[in-house]
Amino acid sequence: MKHMQMRILSALLLIAPAAMAQEDLGAIFGKDSVRRDPVIATFKSTRIINAQSNETLARGDLDFRVAHRFGDIGGADGGSSTFFGIDNSTDIRIAFEYGITDRLTAGVSRAKGSGHFTQLYEVLGKFKLLQQTMDNRVPLAVTLFGNAVVTSMKSSPDKEAVSYFDKFSSRMSYTAQVVVARKFGDRVSLALLPSYVHRNRVGYMDMNNMFALGVGGRLRFSKRVALVVDYFVPFRDQASKDYYKTQGIEFFNPLGVGFEIETGGHVFHLNFTNSTATLENQFIPETTTSWLQGQFRWGFNISRRFSLGH
Amino acid sequence: MKQLFSLAVALLVFGRLAAQDVYSCRNATLSFFSSAPLEDIEAKTSQGASAINIKTKAVYFKVPINTFQFKKKLMQEHFNENYLESDKYPYAEFKGKILEEVDLTRNGTYPVTVEGALNIHGVTKNYREKGTVTVQNGKINATAKFNVSVADHKIKIPTLVVKNIAEVVEVSVNADYQPVK
Repeated sequence: MKHMQMRILSALLLIAPAAMAQEDLGAIFGKDSVRRDPVIATFKSTRIINAQSNETLARGDLDFRVAHRFGDIGGADGGSSTFFGIDNSTDIRIAFEYGITDRLTAGVSRAKGSGHFTQLYEVLGKFKLLQQTMDNRVPLAVTLFGNAVVTSMKSSPDKEAVSYFDKFSSRMSYTAQVVVARKFGDRVSLALLPSYVHRNRVGYMDMNNMFALGVGGRLRFSKRVALVVDYFVPFRDQASKDYYKTQGIEFFNPLGVGFEIETGGHVFHLNFTNSTATLENQFIPETTTSWLQGQFRWGFNISRRFSLGH
Repeated sequence: MKQLFSLAVALLVFGRLAAQDVYSCRNATLSFFSSAPLEDIEAKTSQGASAINIKTKAVYFKVPINTFQFKKKLMQEHFNENYLESDKYPYAEFKGKILEEVDLTRNGTYPVTVEGALNIHGVTKNYREKGTVTVQNGKINATAKFNVSVADHKIKIPTLVVKNIAEVVEVSVNADYQPVK
């Protein structure tokens, strides 16, 4: 019994001075709880390359964007005669996008257009539905994207042509998209993009409504440089594919690979794509150029952000 | 034996009592300001946690880095992602001590010197800075203003934006303490 008491006593004697010693004041605030803050910078810009990212602009931020796609590097239209495509530009898009709230972005753009239509004007909206959180309570980020595009090109006199516009609505096309993204650690981000493109006027045996699935990713290998990739699989009917094959036209899945360099308010992309267009309404349903035939091109995206709201 | 026992108990009780010397604050305001040729940068948080022991004069601060609010959200993103790397180093922490013999149980305003270790961006550096402690009717207020050189905490500024970001930022601290019950 004495032995027991002795033990308790010595334990008490050990504890007491510890309680008196210069305490760790931090202890009174408890342990660090796992934070519920939103994950930031899943992507550095609102675009991966061609694909949308889940990112929107902060309230009051204006994003001035220029996207440029050159001509084919190789194949029949490339090579040294066009200085590997640099002499040509297949598409140029200039856009102003603005953060109305931290979740809602609206924008307008003008694109040269590459596909059936040129001289395009776009109105777009993007809404951040869900943000991934650090504690994984919300494991995914979900953003909705939609646009409406109109062509201002002259109607073709040929009534059979795709670019023959009997009414104004024939000039319109639309994209609706869900961007589901997740940042894994601080280096890898992935996105899945179920997409729907509606074109009011299409060619014979082409599809007014087309679904597609996009995937995109970003691998950050230094603080400011990342590898970015995006790829779309458009779900075109076999009958449509077969018909176009007889016309000598084959459709390909757009694939983009690029480097993303970030410096302050600029994000600069240097990329290669087989698709020639910059807008979903065209590069998803109308890509007929193939990597394997040298029909890929240099391109760049420049994003310059200005904070206007303050 | 019994005496020893009561001594131990007394020591324990005394230890408990010591907790009443601790004052804490869960909404300490911290802000920093930097002035560079192209841009002034300002950010503020009021989510700092702080504690002070009026007997031992120990001082403690802990601030979640990602609670600093900037006017420009893009700047805030860069601050967290590229400079402070708040994913890896979520808190700034200070453990120190007031050097002067001041009686913080009495009303008054006391200029003090605080010395201790400040950890920002995972890098600890010792600081000795001036501050002011005001005691009024059982409430304590502490303020301080000091400079932090970003290089001291291995925060790298790329040459391209060297004109936008100052190498030394001025940090201001303001905390109101209540006794811990």
